[in-house]
Amino acid sequence: MKLTHEDKILLYRNMLRGRKYDEALTKMFNKGQVPGMWHSGIGHEAVGAGVATFLRQDDWLEVTHRGITHGLAKGLDARMWLAEHLGRVGGYAKGKGGHHCADREHGILIGGGTIGSCFPIAAGAGLAAKRLGKDQIVVCLFGDGAAQRATLHSCMNLAGVWNLPIVWVCENNLYSITTHVKNAIAAENIADLAHSYNMPGEIVDGQDVLMVTEVVMDAVERARNGKGPSLIECKTYRFREHGEGEIPTPYRTREEVKEWKKRDPIKLFRYLLLDEGVVTEEDLNAIGTKLDKEVAETVDWAIESPMPALEEAFTDIYVE
Amino acid sequence: MPEINMRQALNQALREELLHDPTVHIWGENVEGVGGGFLITMGLSNEFGERVKDSPLAETAIVGAAVGAAYCGLRPVVELMFADFTYICMDEIVNKMAKVRYSFGAYNDVKLPIVVRMKVGGYFAQSSEHSQTPLAHFMHTPGLKLVFPTTPYEAKGLLKTAIRDDNPVLFFEHIIHFAAKGEVPEEEYFIPFEEANIRREGSDVTVVAIGYMVDLALEAAEELAKEGVSLEVIDPRTLEPLDMDTIMGSIEKTGRVVVVDEDVTRCGIPAEILMQIFEQLTEAGKTPVPMARVGAANTPIPYSPELEKAVLPSADKIIEAVKKVLV
Ligand SMILES: Cc1ncc(C[n+]2csc(CCOP(=O)(O)OP(=O)(O)O)c2C)c(N)n1
Repeated sequence: MKLTHEDKILLYRNMLRGRKYDEALTKMFNKGQVPGMWHSGIGHEAVGAGVATFLRQDDWLEVTHRGITHGLAKGLDARMWLAEHLGRVGGYAKGKGGHHCADREHGILIGGGTIGSCFPIAAGAGLAAKRLGKDQIVVCLFGDGAAQRATLHSCMNLAGVWNLPIVWVCENNLYSITTHVKNAIAAENIADLAHSYNMPGEIVDGQDVLMVTEVVMDAVERARNGKGPSLIECKTYRFREHGEGEIPTPYRTREEVKEWKKRDPIKLFRYLLLDEGVVTEEDLNAIGTKLDKEVAETVDWAIESPMPALEEAFTDIYVE
Repeated sequence: MPEINMRQALNQALREELLHDPTVHIWGENVEGVGGGFLITMGLSNEFGERVKDSPLAETAIVGAAVGAAYCGLRPVVELMFADFTYICMDEIVNKMAKVRYSFGAYNDVKLPIVVRMKVGGYFAQSSEHSQTPLAHFMHTPGLKLVFPTTPYEAKGLLKTAIRDDNPVLFFEHIIHFAAKGEVPEEEYFIPFEEANIRREGSDVTVVAIGYMVDLALEAAEELAKEGVSLEVIDPRTLEPLDMDTIMGSIEKTGRVVVVDEDVTRCGIPAEILMQIFEQLTEAGKTPVPMARVGAANTPIPYSPELEKAVLPSADKIIEAVKKVLV
C-alpha cells in the first residue's frame, strides 16, 4: 500500500489520539475514578494505528485488553468507551461490561476477559466474512501471553484448513504480566508458528508504524483476495506496568525499560515526518492541541454520564 | 402421519431450516456425508455444500467460532459429538456465548442465534467420559437456553424453534431416543419454549422427569397403576425457560412431587426445581408438599453394565421415591 502525506498524518494522529486517551484514563484511574482495572497500552501505538487505520468499516477487528489505540482507529466511540470504563449508563453496555468493549457498527469484535479466547471469536468472524461474501476480512490481535493458549493451535489450524480471511497479529511485548516470553514459548519467534499452519509468518518492528502498516495491509490484501490467513509478529513493549496500580517488581530492569522508551513509537514517527518535511512542528503541535481539547471534552462528558439505574442489572440477558 | 425416528426428525428440521434461511450453517466433527457417528446430518452436505462442513477435531474452535460467526451475521447450528465434550469448551459456552449480549452491548443490540446440538446420556456402557447428562452446569449459567426433547415429534418442532431463536440454545439429544419412532408431520410446525408437556395425567403424585427419564417415569406409572397409584408425568422439555406454572398446577392437584434427572443428584436440577416449588408454595402461604428427587449416584459413571445400572436412575428407583412421598 502506497501511503500519501495525508495517510501518514492520519497515522500520526491515530497514534497520538490513542496515547492521549490512554493517558487520560490512566490519570483517572490513579485518581480513583475508575472502579475496575485498566491496562495501559502506552508503547503499543504503532501497532494500534498500523493495523486499524486503513481497514474498512465493515472489516472486523479483535483487540486485546491493551487495545485502545487500535479500537479508536477502527471507529470505536471514545465517549461510549470511556463511559463504559467508568461504569456509566452511556457506555457500550450501559456500564455492565466495563473493560470489555465491542462495537458491531464499527467492526469491533468481542474481546474478552479470558486471554486467548480471541482466537475462536476471530475464526468465527472469518468464517462469517467468507460465507457472507462481502469481501470482509478479520484482523485478530493477541499478546505473547495469549499465544501460550491451546486456542491458538485449534483456531490457526481451522483458519488454515478453511482458508479464512484472517490476519493474526501478535503484539509481543515480551511479558505476560511478569513472565518473560522466553520462559513460556518454546519457539524462537511467535511468527515461526506460521509454518505449522501453512501460512506466511513475518516479524516486524512494532515501534515502526510505517512498517506495521505496510506488512499488515499486504496481509489484508492477501486475505481479501481469497489467499487465506497470515501471521505477523510485532515486537513491541509496554511502557507501564501490566495493570494500573501495580507496583513494579524486579521482573524487568530499569535499563531495559529505559532502552525501550527511547523507541517511543510516536516520537520516532514524529522525527521521521519532520525529517521527510511532510509537516512542520506547528502542524504536529496543532494536531496535539486539537486532540487535547477533544479528550478533555470526552472526559467531561463521560463523568457527567449518569450511573445506570439498578434495574439495568437485570436486563439484556436474553433477547426477548 | 408418517412414523419416523428421532434421527430422521432432527434431520428434517435441519433441512427445513437450511432451506428457509441462507445464514443457517452447520459445522462439527464428521457432519458431512452420512453425518458422523449418529447420522443426524445425513445427506445434508450433498444438498447444501459448504454450509454443512466437517471441522477439525477441536471443540473449542467449533463452539467458539459459532460465537464469532453469530456476532458477525451467521446463524450457526453446530454439533458436539458428546455433551461430555462441553467441558472442553466451557470458556466459549459459559464465558462467551452466555454473556456476550449482557457484557458487550446493550447499545449494539448484539444477538447470538446459536444452537449447539449434542448427544447426552448413559445406559450404553460408554463409561465416564461419554455418558454424562451435564445440563445442570448450564441451567446454572444465566444467558443460555436449554432444550431436551423426548420424542421425534418434539425433536423436530423444538429444534426448529431453537434455530429461529435469537439466543444461544444448548440442544440435548439422548442416545436411547435416536432410534425411537413416532408420528411426525411432514409439514412445518414449531413447539414453543416454556411449555411443559403432560405426558400422562394422574392424581396422586406429580413426577417431573427430564429427557430419557420421561420414559422411565412412564414405565413407573404403568407399574404403579397396577397398585392403584396414579402418577402425573410432566416433561418440562425446556429447562430454561422453565414452565413452572404447569408443574405448580399439577402439584395443586396431587399434593406430592418427585423430580427425576439422569445427572448426578448432588447440586442437580431436581434440587433446583424442588426448591422453586417450595418457595412458590410458602410464598403463597401454602403448606409445603412431600417431595423427593431421583438422580444418579454421586460417582463417575462406571463402564460395566451392571454397575452403570446401579448408579443411574431406573423405573424402580422412581417407584421407591414415589412411595416415600405417598406416606
Ligand atoms: C485465560 C486467562 N489466563 C490468565 C489471565 C490473567 N491475565 C490477564 S492479562 C494476562 C497477561 C497476558 O499477556 P499477553 O497476552 O502477552 O498480553 P499483555 O498483557 O502483555 O498485553 C494474564 C495472565 C486471564 N485473564 N485469562
